Amino acid sequence: MKAAPTLDGRLRIDAESEADVFALKSVVVDAGDSPENLAEDVGGLMPLELSEDWTEIILPELHGHFREQVTAVARSVKDVTPGDTVFIGKEDAELWYGALNQARLSLESRYKFENRPFDDMDPEQRNARIRSHFYQVVQGLILDFLMDA
Amino acid sequence: MGATKTVSKPEVSLDLPWNVVVHDDPVNLMGYVTWVFMKVFSYPKSKAEVLMMEVHQAGKSIVWTGQQELAELYTHQLQAFQLRTTMEKSSS
Repeated sequence: MKAAPTLDGRLRIDAESEADVFALKSVVVDAGDSPENLAEDVGGLMPLELSEDWTEIILPELHGHFREQVTAVARSVKDVTPGDTVFIGKEDAELWYGALNQARLSLESRYKFENRPFDDMDPEQRNARIRSHFYQVVQGLILDFLMDA
Repeated sequence: MGATKTVSKPEVSLDLPWNVVVHDDPVNLMGYVTWVFMKVFSYPKSKAEVLMMEVHQAGKSIVWTGQQELAELYTHQLQAFQLRTTMEKSSS
């Protein structure tokens, strides 16, 4: 796998092998049921006088927004095969960043990586930790090269 | 000397401002949190970084204070950027 910024202001990710394709498509799988849980996690702690509005209006909207991020990435990677390149433009940067974040949040919630030595993990947890690290590296590239404040 | 005129005014209770509070989480990258504060509030990078570090080190930070409607708008925007955000009435 190679990932680097391009001269025309995009980020390219070269999927060189089956393993690379698997890693890219795993974003969608790992994000899984995250959108619903995430909406509740980021917006479910509102004060009593606002909680009804938030539950009825804002949380479903957040859920839809988060779902849209994962769907957009799913569309981008569904036909990728070894040797293909995925390009991420500035216009898609937030969608990709958000989907990768959801995948990391979901993995973190499932495997509780924080402060856990890699050597103490079983093979499934290690694989998940490696995927989470890969997502984080791509997020860093997106943030550094594509997202302007 | 002229007579002193006393004018009584009805007691006015002012609405307290609301704080927008961002909470720490184990996933969001520090650079991203800074970027969100710059994007949502148009804060300069230096201020956004100070607030981000407060979230990281203290577990939460009041990132904005003001009228309720705007606080709701900012809270919604921060949540859409996947930051765990709440609102609370300011004590002052």
